[in-house]
Amino acid sequence: MPILSSELTGIHPTRLELLRLRRRRTLAEGIIDILEKDLEALMATLFELLKKIQLLRSRVFETLKEAYSLFIEAEMRIGSRKIEEVSLAAKSVDFLLDVDTQSGVLGIQLPTIKLIEGKMETILPHVSILDTSAKLDESNSRTWDAIILIIKLAEAEASIREILDVISIKRRQVNRLQYRVLPELDKAIRYIELILEETERQDTIRVRVLQRKRKERALIST
Amino acid sequence: MKAWTYKRLMPKVLIARLQLIEPTDLVDLVGRSVEYIASALARTPYHKEIAEIPEPQLSVISIEEALLRNYIKTCQEIMEYSPKEIGFLLSTFLMKFEVDNIKAMLRAKWAGIGIDEAMRFITPIGRLDERKCRNVLENSESVSDVVELLSDLEYGTALKDALKDHEETGTLLPFEVALYTQVYGQITRATRKLKGKDRKIAEIVLGIEIESMNMKVILRGKSLGIARDQIIRSLLPMSDILNEKALETAVDSKDITSSIKSLLREVQVSAVRDYQYLLSDLLKEYDASQSISQLEIVLDRNRLKASLRMVKRYTPYFNIGLVLSFLNTKRVEVKNLRAIVRGAEDRVPPERITELLILAN
Repeated sequence: MPILSSELTGIHPTRLELLRLRRRRTLAEGIIDILEKDLEALMATLFELLKKIQLLRSRVFETLKEAYSLFIEAEMRIGSRKIEEVSLAAKSVDFLLDVDTQSGVLGIQLPTIKLIEGKMETILPHVSILDTSAKLDESNSRTWDAIILIIKLAEAEASIREILDVISIKRRQVNRLQYRVLPELDKAIRYIELILEETERQDTIRVRVLQRKRKERALIST
Repeated sequence: MKAWTYKRLMPKVLIARLQLIEPTDLVDLVGRSVEYIASALARTPYHKEIAEIPEPQLSVISIEEALLRNYIKTCQEIMEYSPKEIGFLLSTFLMKFEVDNIKAMLRAKWAGIGIDEAMRFITPIGRLDERKCRNVLENSESVSDVVELLSDLEYGTALKDALKDHEETGTLLPFEVALYTQVYGQITRATRKLKGKDRKIAEIVLGIEIESMNMKVILRGKSLGIARDQIIRSLLPMSDILNEKALETAVDSKDITSSIKSLLREVQVSAVRDYQYLLSDLLKEYDASQSISQLEIVLDRNRLKASLRMVKRYTPYFNIGLVLSFLNTKRVEVKNLRAIVRGAEDRVPPERITELLILAN
């Protein structure tokens, strides 16, 4: 890539500057190394979470399927119309979630979602126990299990989003260092090196000219 | 009661019993489509009610309703042919359906649904015909208005008494318990008006029905961890065999097995064989499956078996045993058909549907 003079106007083509730029280059390479190691750690966590999510999704699916089958069985036992009627007077199941964060991989604050235990009591008979079947309780219980799994799934998905955000930031940082900072430093280093080489060449020529002139003066005087 | 008093009832019940669907035919319906089941039912005593369903409205709910209407109609027909005391007992049986309508109206009002939607849950019967139910729903704004408008019926006092509890607890459970207490109280009183074998048979069959309900509440309550007071409030302590104290001991037992054992101890003292069979079966089933829903099936099956046993134990004719065993068999048939139709709609595996059927053997 040709060196644009406008980019290099602020650079002092001195040895000191060259040393400073070389140190910056080494530092940038070090940072890239660290960032890539971080990325590796993040990717490993991401894949773990993806596996966990797949497992949780299949468990949620299975649990909901089971809850639905039990619900159908409850309808078979006491009738669809009765279930619909009883549901009219059912108390709604309220539950609260405690959303917080905790330090995860590389100290990233990952979200934690917890069901507030005290509110679990609300699952207890919210429909008439005289007019329904225990199948309905079994279905409720499986639905509750599914809710707990869904909360875990939401937590894992929120963690994945957080990790993806951090990965994206770190990837941008690596890219910036690799494709912008390092090439710029390389250009600046090359520019200073060229200037310094040029200066050296001029100095050498100047020395030679002076030596030649000194020799000529010495010949004239003798 | 003298044999001649049954001269009209016995042929009626015997014919109706012969029209019951054979268990093998019932099992044969498992796994078939809803349309197939509906057309099969058109060749049974349910044909009239099934034919009344317009084809586009053929659904699980419309079939369920048709089955229930047929059961009520059968009960009413048998009641008409019955001697006075048995007729009175059967009329108290029919109160169960009236109570179902009252509960439906209370629930509908509680949920604030429209009148036409609420009427879907009502099967008009006796004093709670369509006009009365519609009138109650139209002229009420709240649950207390429904209670007020039903005060002219015999359930009025019980409902009014339960109103305070309802306001305190914020649930409809007090009404449900009050209504069940009222109905089963009436059934118990009607049973006590019977004499001789009739009374003996009715007390066992209906006693098992009431105790089955109590056992369901205790076992379910314990498995769900419901508070003791709430379980006790939902009980119907009416039997001399499992009295209030015996039921409370079962509620206070540490787990479900000990609850069943405590009830078993109680019935061993009173030496009522039918209760012993029931509780022994419950204990065996719970040890095997640890499932409350399985216990409910055992309770339902035992209710049926107890009434069938009465026919074998006493002479099958000229007593109430045949009537009660027929009504129980018919009730179970309706429940089984309901399960088959619902299972068919959702394509539940046939073997699972068969497991949920209540069959005497």
